[in-house]
Parts: sequence; structure tokens; C-alpha cells
Amino acid sequence: MKKLIIFAITASLFFTGGCKKFIDVNDDPNSLLNVQEGLILSPVELNISSNIAAGNVSIIVNHWMQNIALNQPVPNSGTYLQNNVDFDGDWSNIYVTGLNNLNILNQKAGANGNSNYTGIAKILTAYCLGVATDLWGDVPYSQAFKGSSNFTPGYDKQEDIYKELQILLDNGIADINAAKGKGVGSDDYFYNGHMTEWKKLAYTLKARYYIHLTKAPGYNAATQADLALTALQNGMQSNDDDLAFNYPGDAGHENPMYLTFLPVSTLVLSAHVVDGFKTRNDPRLSKMIGLSVSGMYNGRPIGSTDLGNLDDYSLPGPFYGSPTSSVYIVTYSEALFIKAEATFLKSGATAAEPIYQAAIKSHMDLLGISAASATAYIASRGPLTSSNALQLIMEEKSTADFLSLENFNDWRRTGFPPLTKVPNAISEIPRRVIYPESEIIANPQTLQSAKLTDKVWWDQ
Amino acid sequence: MNKKIFILFFFILCCAAAMAQKEYFGKILDSTGNPVPGATINLKNSKIGTTSGPDGSFKIMAKENASIVVTAVGYSKAEMPLGNDENVNITLKNTNKYLEEVVVTALGVKREKRNLTFSSQEVKGDELLRAKDPNVINAIAGKVSGVQITNSSGTPGGSARILVRGATSIFGNNEALIVLDGVPIDNSETGAIASGPGSNRLVDIDPSIIESVNVLKGAAATALYGSAGARGVVIITTKSGQGYKKPTVTLSSDLAFDNALYPDVQSKYAQGDRGVYFNGENKKTSSSWGPLIDTLRVNGQPVQKRNQLKDFFKTGITTNNTISVAGSNPKSGYFLSYSYFDQQGTVPKNDFTRHTIFTKFNTKIGDKFSATIQFNYSNSTRHTVPEGYILESPIWTIFTAPISWNPRPYLNPDGTQRVYRFSRNNPYWVLDNVFTKGDVNRFLPIATFTYNPLKWLNITERIGADIYTEQDKYYEALNSVANPKGVLVDRTSNFRQFNHDFIIDARKQFGDFDIDLLVGNNIFSSYGQTVQGRGVGLSVDNFYNLANAATQTYSESYSLSRKVGFYTQANIDYKRLLILSLTGRYDGSSVLSKDKSFYPYGSAAASFVFSELLASPSSFLNFGKLRVSYATVGNDNVAPYSLNTPYYAANVGGIAFPFQGQNGFLLSQTLGNPNLKNELAKEFEIGLETRILNNKVGLEVSYFDKNISDGIIPGVSISAATGYTGTTVNSARLQTKGVEVLINATPVKSKNFKWDAVFTFTKLNNKVVSLYGDIQQLSIGFTEAIVGQPYGVIFGDRFKRASDGQLIIDAKGRPVKDDTQGILGNITPHWTAGITNTFSYRNWSFSFFFDMKQGGDIQNNVDGYGYFYGTPKATENRQPRVVAGISETDNKPNTVAADAEDYFRRLNSVLEAVIQDGTYIKLRNATLGYTFGSALISKTPFKSATIVVTGRNLWIYRPHFTGSDPEASSFGSANGSQGIYSFSTPTSRTIDFGLKLTF
Repeated sequence: MKKLIIFAITASLFFTGGCKKFIDVNDDPNSLLNVQEGLILSPVELNISSNIAAGNVSIIVNHWMQNIALNQPVPNSGTYLQNNVDFDGDWSNIYVTGLNNLNILNQKAGANGNSNYTGIAKILTAYCLGVATDLWGDVPYSQAFKGSSNFTPGYDKQEDIYKELQILLDNGIADINAAKGKGVGSDDYFYNGHMTEWKKLAYTLKARYYIHLTKAPGYNAATQADLALTALQNGMQSNDDDLAFNYPGDAGHENPMYLTFLPVSTLVLSAHVVDGFKTRNDPRLSKMIGLSVSGMYNGRPIGSTDLGNLDDYSLPGPFYGSPTSSVYIVTYSEALFIKAEATFLKSGATAAEPIYQAAIKSHMDLLGISAASATAYIASRGPLTSSNALQLIMEEKSTADFLSLENFNDWRRTGFPPLTKVPNAISEIPRRVIYPESEIIANPQTLQSAKLTDKVWWDQ
Repeated sequence: MNKKIFILFFFILCCAAAMAQKEYFGKILDSTGNPVPGATINLKNSKIGTTSGPDGSFKIMAKENASIVVTAVGYSKAEMPLGNDENVNITLKNTNKYLEEVVVTALGVKREKRNLTFSSQEVKGDELLRAKDPNVINAIAGKVSGVQITNSSGTPGGSARILVRGATSIFGNNEALIVLDGVPIDNSETGAIASGPGSNRLVDIDPSIIESVNVLKGAAATALYGSAGARGVVIITTKSGQGYKKPTVTLSSDLAFDNALYPDVQSKYAQGDRGVYFNGENKKTSSSWGPLIDTLRVNGQPVQKRNQLKDFFKTGITTNNTISVAGSNPKSGYFLSYSYFDQQGTVPKNDFTRHTIFTKFNTKIGDKFSATIQFNYSNSTRHTVPEGYILESPIWTIFTAPISWNPRPYLNPDGTQRVYRFSRNNPYWVLDNVFTKGDVNRFLPIATFTYNPLKWLNITERIGADIYTEQDKYYEALNSVANPKGVLVDRTSNFRQFNHDFIIDARKQFGDFDIDLLVGNNIFSSYGQTVQGRGVGLSVDNFYNLANAATQTYSESYSLSRKVGFYTQANIDYKRLLILSLTGRYDGSSVLSKDKSFYPYGSAAASFVFSELLASPSSFLNFGKLRVSYATVGNDNVAPYSLNTPYYAANVGGIAFPFQGQNGFLLSQTLGNPNLKNELAKEFEIGLETRILNNKVGLEVSYFDKNISDGIIPGVSISAATGYTGTTVNSARLQTKGVEVLINATPVKSKNFKWDAVFTFTKLNNKVVSLYGDIQQLSIGFTEAIVGQPYGVIFGDRFKRASDGQLIIDAKGRPVKDDTQGILGNITPHWTAGITNTFSYRNWSFSFFFDMKQGGDIQNNVDGYGYFYGTPKATENRQPRVVAGISETDNKPNTVAADAEDYFRRLNSVLEAVIQDGTYIKLRNATLGYTFGSALISKTPFKSATIVVTGRNLWIYRPHFTGSDPEASSFGSANGSQGIYSFSTPTSRTIDFGLKLTF
């Protein structure tokens, strides 16, 4: 008996000592606690293309811009029915998958002295943050990405965000110019590590964000035009400079727009956009608008109370809507349209005319439309005059920016292309995106009561 | 007097020693003449002994004039001197069998029920088998107070959820811990690749090997189990060979027919819109807002009316065959069982089959050492189609199919799918082209060794494992609408769990005190690994190899958690009047912060058996006990690796890395919390147990108040602006108070006729006290946790109402949707109750079981979509209707009649319209049995033969719910799947024919 007790005590002591070690197994062999910069960059770039530029919110604003229609009875996004929860995913795609990983990428690359990566991180941060502020106005940034040290980051004024965008882009350019540390390579889907392309992108984005402020309170259109023109001197110079994501198109690797318009979604193109191509006799019709199953170029009228026959509606055509199509995020054509607008604002319609024509041609060129067709089309649109210039530039820009988020920004700034609210609309045309439900619950702020029809700061 | 007897005895014994041995035989009977199996028969003052067989018979070698002592649970001890006559029949006097009953409590410790200081309720194996359900969880539904069981869908092998005394965690595991013969086993839901429920893994256990199930409810009962016990414990005790003297073979065979219970659908209107007929061929639509089908003529011809539900569902056929052999001698016993369960579902090609082999062998090695070795192997396979409102679900397109459309053939001449509407598959095409197939091989070996070095000392070592491999495959053929290029998923999971207990138990009488002291140690390790290949872009039909896929993605997950625990328990029993029980446990868990991984907790409980104070036995009050307890249980209810924020292999917008030759990783969206500590459950319980009226009526009432603090919320949503969508915190507080009632009554008992009734009642009040910081609301799938509300409220779009509650009506006469969302219902019932009545008359037995639920709201998603399509029964009334309410236009009572289609489509957009009260009364089970008398079978090789006919779900009263069965949660047993009835395989009405033979 004594022996037994001694044994039991010894055994239990031995046990207790070994316990801490025995339960020290809380490290997951299937996850990494540290990775190289390039391994973060690749998925972040894909996220920008698939989830932000061609993501849910792009589809929704293109309902409002009357490009996309849902083949379901109203109410729906086409008639401006939105719930806060509709934007939870977009907010997280921008803030978590996008900005937070870019923040980590920037920190890592900074610590490792890899300035090309910090440069790219800053430029893409500016893109993501720019998308966020254009959609939501005031958004968190200066207090964001601090994890558990700040669970309720305050919101920055849109004006301050806009200042930050330019700083980010300037710093990104400076980092690239420093050219320290590791080179970027095939981990960069966009430019394959060609840093001069990244600089052109940065300057083009600078121009985009300058021109966005043409009617911002306290800002002057001409000044913004000047700033944009200056930036564009170092911006994109050809279609080869486009920020575009190429999808191989095999199963599981399709262009997101193609997937969005699969029949299950019952999303189709609107009558508004299809009829526009037909009315203008646009040579890009067959490239940009698909034939319906029943063999027509036909869109669905937004606001319709009935279900239509899905087979009768057009989807995006082969250039934007096929599995192998690229998603265009920032383009040379856009740069030219910004230049045309800025030139018009500074120097009038005649000065803007050649730039406007070059902008249309660059897009036609991208689509493989012959120069002759392009010229004929431009002629059919008539010359720019002081009264029609802004409208024509914006209409053509919206065609070149097909299904892009930029359409919504331009319409709010300029009112072009002109839109009237759809039948059965439940409000006026939205002028912003409402704050996501998840943010309202976890980080409540008074400004989150903003309605779809409220205007962001630069839209006042 | 005593002295005289002693002397006489001594004399007899001396004489007996000199006499020769002979074999005595006979039967042990109870006061009504029924045999008592499993009674222990010992020679007085000797270790020689035996046990009685199933028919009460025994044989024993003894010297003439020896005495035998007979003991049996539920009977008073009897002693009988032996004489010349070798045939000895002994009649035992029934004692208070309910209270003398021994139940298995925490860690496999057997204790007398009368002495328990906490609430537990046992269900016997026979009772489980009466339910005729392959899933033990479903088999105890409604039988145990304080326990809420939610079945998922009628799909074969579908999972069921078990909550004991309500939810204890916001997002973590809320289901009871399952313990098989002292070893915790896995009951997680697995196998769901497509939408719809998986199987809760207790489905791998054949109910026929179960001797009893004991549910330990409160923290005082479960504290010894450590962390997982905070959610309640279901203790399963398997059968053994004990009590079967001769090898006894039992054969049982069941054949059952399942008929699906359909939701209420309209059967008058054809496919179409606004009264215009669409033929589904060149004019397609999802709606059945067409014309009356009876008067519809196309080219002068009527259109055939179909019952799409009857055409699609078939009679499900289930067979269940079991053979077992049991036997024992005083030194050892064995039990072997094989069973084959085969359920062909009501949806064609859906099935669940299970082979199980169970063996148990127990033996005594010498006087002081005994061992039990047991082994369970099961092979479960399951074949299902997607369910719910997922695009692939055939149930969706059957429940809402137009009555005017012929779904066959499902292919057009050009090989494309023939559909009546866009964006969905033809339901019959799905049956041939989409499936999930699961195959689980599971081993449950358990070895228990006990060593009694001293009479008062017992040392037990128990080693158990739970090992299974699951192989799942999902196939979706080319040209499916949701995935036109086809999908193939191949998933293999390995699960291994090991449990080791070492327990020293000392029990000794000191004067009036009976003291039982137990100390022990537990080591637990759980490991899981899943590898999955997912392929898209299939090139060959019906080739289920991943090589068929153009793009393949590999993923792997791993989890390992370990725990150690040291525990102690002291039971002090004073004169069987006062019982004090103290427990303490010190746990270490691998999943918590390293400096907080060890944590202590314990319980104190007391029972006061006040009936002991009665001067003389009372015929009114036979037994009375008051018990009170307070317990704390530390809990580590969180997945491993929640402390870190790792990088994971990226999958962005459906594209998995590596992509285009480039690999990619993103930071986890869930922020790790390196400071995670255990949560704490505190529970106060008070209970009363009495037996009155000559033991005819037993009453048990418990009240408890359970509070969870520092509750772990894994993945609580945080502002994405922090860089993360969620993190894990220690901040939830939940409270559950409840009353549980159990009444056992035997109103009539005579030689030939007996009536037993069992009534259970449960009322739980559950409240989320706090979540995290200022967060007032968290989404749990289809329900929400909202501060101040019960766990699991339904929240969403509601109707706009005037201040007096009247609906606001728009200019077209339709109710208006409010701009803001609100609370629409609560999935937890107000109360639940069950009544089982069992009658036996001679060889006949008849039993029926009613199960009741009052309240408990459910989202009827079938109507939700159906209102848009015009398919629920309610849409059969297509007259314009004036909806009572206040007109939006003039603030006066509404007088505008709304068009039916407009009206129902408005309802479709407001969730409130389809939140239905899930109140029901169910005749869950009725059983008629006949046992052949010995006269009939004496000439056959059989010892006994029983025929049983069982009906399940024979009658359902559901005053508010318009689906077929309000006892459903279409997407399985997870927290996030509760509170919704969607397009899942309906539950069935079943008739089961069973035959049981022993020989």
C-alpha cells in the first residue's frame, strides 16, 4: 500500500511537470506567421480587380447608372432599393483584404528596405482608399488598421482623405524612384514589375483625384484641371500602360464580369445602355454588347414590374464579358478623357477636341475597331462646342469606362451622361453608397445615417 | 433471541460443511410473478455466486442446508436456506425501484439515484429502440426534461441538434457532450459539402447496443467532466453480457415505410403571370400566377394537372437487422452485436446505410482485478442531393413547380436541360447529375481496468479512442445552371481523439458517515485533419475522379487540441439523510493563452432526504428529497489557434492560389487574441424529488439559474476599419433560468394489466446579457443574438405600423415595409412537454408518445419564396383583398383592394410575413407489441418472440405553421442553421414492422 501511494505521488508529480509541455500544441502547422512581400502582393492585386473594380458595388452603381438591369420585378437595385447589409462585403474587401494587407505589405517592405514594394503598396492604397471615399465620403483611415488597439477607428473627412491620396501617390512615386532593395517580378500581375508603368499609373491616379474635385467646396475647377494636366504629363502614354487584370478564362479562372452575368444571377444589360449604342450607331456595339440567346441586341427596361424572358436580353459583349476578358481599372483612355475635360475647362472646346478624339480612338483601338470606323463615328458625334463639350466628353468617357465605378463619380460631378430616374423608383437617383451594416453595428458613428440620396463632400 | 439464531446457524453451518454439494436451480421472481434477470445469487458467507438469466433462472452448486442471499436492483435483499428440494423459487419484494436504481454519473461512476445531489434523467435502451430512429439524439427527443432536440430535415442520416438547458455560447459549440462508456466521443456535424444538413456523428452508433442513456443537466452533475461538460452531458452505457447466463442470441428485424409530409401548396392555378398562361416551353417563368388550370384550354385541349410533390417523392423503405449474442459466467461476460441499417429516402437516390459491429468482453482476473475491453466499428455511407434554397436544390423546384408543367423528360433533344424557368436546374436532372456521397469508417475502442487492492479502495484506469476517417465526394455535372462547367469536390477527413482517465476511489463507513473520496486525472487529445481537392471544368460525365477537372485546388486544414485535468470529489453521506457532495477540478487547455491555460473550478451540493425523518413508513409519502447545488465550470469553448493572426492561402473572388504560377497569402480576416482565457459557467440549482401514493407517482422538479460570464465569442464582428472583420473575445454573458418537471406514474398495476405514464415539462428563459463592448447585436446565421433578448431571435424586415399597431397600407392596397428592421420572433419555445403512456395487458403492450412545443418561431422560407411564385396554399385565394390597416395616402382605414399577386409579392419582400409560430402537438410515436407466450413457442427453438408495429409522426397539430413539420431546421444542427424551414427533404410519416427473436 505504501509503495502504491509513493508511486501515485511520484507519477502525478511527473505528470504535472509534463502537463505544460503536453498542452503546448497551439501552433497551426498549416498557417504561416510570416510571408514575403510578393506573396501578399499577388492576391491583393487580384482582390482589387475581382472584388473592388468588378465587385458587388460596381454592379450596384451600374444599376443606378442604368447600365445593368435585373430581370426581376421591382423593387431592386435598379429602382434604388438598397440595404446597409448590401455593402458589408465591399467594405471588407476594401478595408480588410485590400487596405490592411497593403498596410502590412508596406510595413514589411519598409522594414526590409524594399522600396519598390512600398511604392506599389502606397499607390494601390491610394486606389482602394479613393474608391472608398468616392463611394462613402468620410471614411476611416488615420485611425484605421490598428487591430485591437483601436476597435472603433474614427472617420476622416473626405477632404482630408483626398489630401492623403495625393500624399500616398507622391510617396509611392518617391519610393519607386529610390529603387532600393528587391525588384518586383511575376508576383505583380498588373505590370510584371515594370516600375515605370507603376509611376505612370500613380500620376494618372493623381490626375483622377484632382479632377474629381472640380466642384468640391473651396476648390476651383480650373485649378484642379491644371493640377490634373500637370500630373498627366507623367501619366499613361498608351493603351499598354493600362492598369488591367488579365484572366486566363479556363474553368475557375474566369473574368468576374462573365461570372456576374451567368444566367443564375438574372442580371442583364439595360435597355438604356443597349439602345444608346444602337442610336449612336457605335461601331463598338458588337464588341461591348452581346447578342441575346434569341439573337437580338436588346436590353431590359429598368423599373419594369414584370419578369422578362431571359433569352431575349443582351449581356456584356466579348470584350468585357467573356471568360477571358480583362478587367480595366485605370486606362490610358481615361487619362485622355481627363485631359480632354481639363483642357476644356482651361482652354475651351476647340483645344479639347483633338484630345477628345484621341481618347475615343484609343478606346476603339483597344477594342480593335478600325481607324476608319473610329473616324466615321467621331464625325457622327459632331464637333465639341462650349455647350456640348462636357456632355460629349463624359458620354464617351462612360463608354470607354464601361461598367467601371468611375461612371458614378463622373455623373455626380458633371451630371453626364444625363439620367432621369427610372419608373417605380423609390427615391431620386442615389448620389452615394450607404454605410455597411457591419460598420454601423461595430463602429457606430452619427454620419452613418447618411441616405443614398445624400451627397458626399465633393458632390455638394 | 439473536444469540439463539446465531448458535443455530453456527450449528447448521458446521453440519453443512460436512455434507456433499448438489446443484440447486430455480427462478428469481418479483411479487407479480415476473422473472427478475440479473439478480446476484451468492452463498452466504462465501464468494461463490452467480447471476440470474433473462428468464430469472439460475443454477448454483451448494451444500445442503447452506443459505443463499439474493440481491437485485430495485428489490430488497432476500435470504433463503437451502434444503432437500433442488428446485428453489425465490420471490423478491419490490422496493422503491426508482430510487434504489443505480445510475451512471460523471466519469462512469455508478451511484444510487436516491443519493444524487443533482438532476439527471435516464432513458432505457428499450425506450430508445421504440423510437425506431437510427440517430440516438432523435430517439430521446421529447423524453428528457431540460433537453431541446431539433431535427434538421427528413434526409436520411440528417443531423439533429441537442441542447441541454439552453445555449451557453454565442458562436461556439452549444451541444451536449456525448460520453460513451466513460469516454467522450465526437458528435460534430460532418459531410455537408453542398447546402443541407450533414450528419451528427452520433449517427454512427447503433441504438440497439445501448443499455441506457443518462442525461446530466446541471453544472453540479457535469463539473467533473471538465470544460465540455458545461453544455450538459449525455452518458451512453452500452450493453454487456451480464445477466445472460447461457449464450443468448437475439435477432431483430425491422421494415419501415416512410411517406413524406408535404407543405401546403395550391393546386388550382397554372404556370403564368397575371392570369396569363405560360407553357414552360417557349414561355418560361418561375411563377404560378397563371389561369385556373381546370378551365384552361390550349388549342382546345385541357392541360394536365399534376401533383409535383407526389410525383417526385417516393415511399422510403428502411430495413434494420440486428443480431447479437450475449452470455456470462460469474467471472466474465461477453456481448457481440452486428447490425445493418439501410434507409432509402423519400427523395430518389438519397440513402443512408450503416454497418456496425460491437463487441464487449469483461472478465475478472483474480479477486482484485477486472477488465472490460470493448470495440465498436461502424461504416456509415450517405448519398444526398443539395437541399434548401441553393440553386441546385431539386426540392426548391419541386415545392414551387407549376402544376401545369411536365418535368419529364429532363433533357431537350439537343441535350440541354429542359426547364420551366430560368436559373434553376430541372429537379429530375439533379437526381441524376448532382450528389454528395459520404463514407465514414469509425472505430471506438475502450478498455477499462479496475483494481480493488482493498475492500474500500477502487482504482480505475480507462483508455478510450475515437478514430474515424470520412471520405466525401460532391459531383455537379456539366451544364448545371449554377456551375455550368461542373464541380467535383473530394474531401478526406481524419479524426482521432484519445481520452485517458485514472481514478482512485475510496469509500468507507465511519460510524454514521459513509464517505466516498475520489481523485483522478484526465488526459485528452483531439486531432483532426482535412484535405480537400476541388475541381472545376469537368470534361467527362460521371467520372468522379479529380483528374476530370481542368482546374484543381488543394486545401488542407489541421487542428490539434489537448487538455489535462485533475479532479476530486468527496461524497459524505450521513445516515442516508444528508448527503454532501463536493467536487473540484483543475484543467489545463492548449487552446487558451499560455499564461491562462490552467484554471480551477468546482461545485458544492447537498441532498436532504426528509422522508427518512418520518417515524413510520407513510403510505402517502414514500420518499422525499430536497437538493440544492452551486457549481462553477470553466470552459475553453474555442477552436485551436485563435490566439494568432496567421496568413492563409488566398482565395480571392473564387480564384484560389496558386494562380498563374504565382502563390499568394493574405492575412487572416480574424484577429487573434493572445489573451484568451476560459469562460465560466455558474449554476445554482434546487430540486425536489418525491414518490407518493405507495410509489405509484414520482415527481421530480428542478429549478436552475445558469450564468455564463467571460463567454468566448469566436469571430465577434469588429469594424473592418481595424483591418479585420472579427476577433475572439472573452466578454459574452448569457443567463438561462428554467424549470424542469418529470412525473412518473403507474396508475394501474395488476397481474395482467399495467399502465405507466411519464410526463416531462421544460420551460427555459434565456437571455443574452451582454456581447462585446457597445455591440448590441450579432448575427448567428438565420437568427441573431441581441442584448436583452433570448439567444436566437429572428430579426429582419417588418411591416410598417401605426402607433396602435395597425398596418400601414399603400395606394395599391398593399402593406408597406418599414424602413427599419426589427425583432420578428424567437426560436426558443415557451415550453416543451412530452407524455408517454405504456399499457401492457398479458402479452400485449401498447404505447404512445405525444410531444408538445408551445411557441418557438420559425422562418417559413418555403412560403417566403412561394408568395412570389404563387405556390403556397394561401395563394389559392386570388380574389382582390382589402387588407385591414391605415391608408398611407389619407391616414384613414384602408378601403383599396389589393390584387392577389401584388399582395403576395409584397409579403415576399417582408420577412415578418413568413415568421410563423412553431407550436405543435405531435403523436411522435405509437407502438403496439405482442410477445408470444411460452406455450406457443415452447416447441420452437426460440426463447421469446415479439412483434412490434410502430407508427411515427402519425399526427401533427400545427395551428400556425404552414410547412409540413415545424420541428425542422433545414440546414443542419449548427448554431447558424437554426430557425429556418427551407426547401429541405420533408420529414416522414413512418410505419415500422419489427420482429425480435431470442434463442
